Amino acid sequence: MKEFMMIFIGGTAYEELGLSPEQLQHRMEKWFTWDEKLKQQGILRGGEALHAKVKRVVGPNRIESDGPFVESKELIGGYITVAANSFEEVVKIAQDFPDYDIDGSVEIREVMKLDQYE
Amino acid sequence: MPHRKIVDHLFRHQYGKMVAILSRIFGLTHLELIEDAIQDTFVKATLQWRNSMPDNPEAWLTQAAKNRVIDLLRRISVKHEHHQKVPHGTIALEISEFFLDHEVEDSQLRMILVAGHPVLSREEQIAFALKTISGFSMKEIAAALLLKEEAIKKRLARARKKMKDQQVKLAYPLPHEIEDRMAVVLQAIYLIFNEGFHSTKSGSLISKDMCGEALRLCKLLLTKERFRSGSLYALFALCCFHASRLETKIGTNNELVDLQYQDRARWYKPLIVLGNYAMQKSLEYTERSAYHHEAAIAAEHLKADCFKSTDWHRILELYQQLYELQPGDTILLSMASVHLQVGQLDRAKALLDQVEANHLSQRKYLLHGSYAEYYFRIGSIQPALSQIDQAIALSSNELEQAYLKKKRAQMVNA
Repeated sequence: MKEFMMIFIGGTAYEELGLSPEQLQHRMEKWFTWDEKLKQQGILRGGEALHAKVKRVVGPNRIESDGPFVESKELIGGYITVAANSFEEVVKIAQDFPDYDIDGSVEIREVMKLDQYE
Repeated sequence: MPHRKIVDHLFRHQYGKMVAILSRIFGLTHLELIEDAIQDTFVKATLQWRNSMPDNPEAWLTQAAKNRVIDLLRRISVKHEHHQKVPHGTIALEISEFFLDHEVEDSQLRMILVAGHPVLSREEQIAFALKTISGFSMKEIAAALLLKEEAIKKRLARARKKMKDQQVKLAYPLPHEIEDRMAVVLQAIYLIFNEGFHSTKSGSLISKDMCGEALRLCKLLLTKERFRSGSLYALFALCCFHASRLETKIGTNNELVDLQYQDRARWYKPLIVLGNYAMQKSLEYTERSAYHHEAAIAAEHLKADCFKSTDWHRILELYQQLYELQPGDTILLSMASVHLQVGQLDRAKALLDQVEANHLSQRKYLLHGSYAEYYFRIGSIQPALSQIDQAIALSSNELEQAYLKKKRAQMVNA
């Protein structure tokens, strides 16, 4: 079994949508349902949501700067790692990502494992 | 891993509670800030709870909102040193008292009475109640009231400004003011219910939520002896009776279903029982309000086994009494439709001619719809079609339009 990371990119920040408490609750419940489904299938490996604030350290002089550096539609909002056999399987899993309707997208990457080199 | 399930409407109900508690602690002058802080808290929760949920979500939300308000107020007081001190330390201990159940309820009741404060116009009262007490977004309120979001925003800003300028306090009205204040509060609840019941926006749950909200507010007021009155019980009965039919108003194809064709077996019995109980209680008081009559009319419809067995004469009698108590164009319109129903076409026409169309504002299409029905019944198809076309043009709601178009087709084919 391989491991894949689903990286959540963009999506209008919930703050900016002017969602009502009811709508926010619905949105959160969609995430719960997805999460619950992955757990039941036993394929969830990890994941976190990320704050929007970014700090970047660059170059040999380790110059620090404060972000965000990209538009919110390119900002990474969180990730989930799952166990799966192929990209196709993860694409299927990603169908339930709740934020497509607010311009969010999912980038799927395979996690490199040490055992692949044994 | 336990299944994460949140109580239905937790956020929305929690919103109203938190606004009430925090306004009591920090004062109504900070209302805008408080509402923003609570909104921030919900956004934070939707992100954080994805990974793990707190054991007590309500407590988490309130605590987070409280912290956020204190944080925001500190920032303000740094900017303006003359600003009032932010409670902390020993005062914070007393603050915890405000979070006890009975105090929360008390704060909410104060908030409801503030919503009926005479400095606010009727329109502001409704917008204020929907936003601040019931936690609807401006977009939702705009949709339900058939207004632009911008208009709601302005109303709320105006309401907040008035309250600030006139230094409205989150206090109970004085004993001699209670009656007047309650009359306004009841009217606001009545309008909230009506907006919910009549604004059948397709694919939207807001309207149902608004009806539920009106019921909830009535119940909250009924918990306190001093707010109980014949009118309050009658209003509660009225809301229960109408709400019992809510599910049957929209058909399987998302179309409006006439009272005549509603599946009476699906009317929600527990609400009818509750309504009957409230109706009984309302009659124990000497006062008779418009709500009494409206509830009685709603009850007559519920009593009938089928549409045909409706006691139209009793209903007309009740409308007549209602009109004497509180004349209004919508009542004339309702009476006219009863006359149409029982085939007294001339009487119906006479009543319709009395209606001042402009007084009906958004519901003007109903008058044209009734005229259409009248002309159709007397066999004048052309005027009937021209009236129904006007009704279609004036209706702003897709469901209503679809309903009227269907009627038009029936007239053409008849």
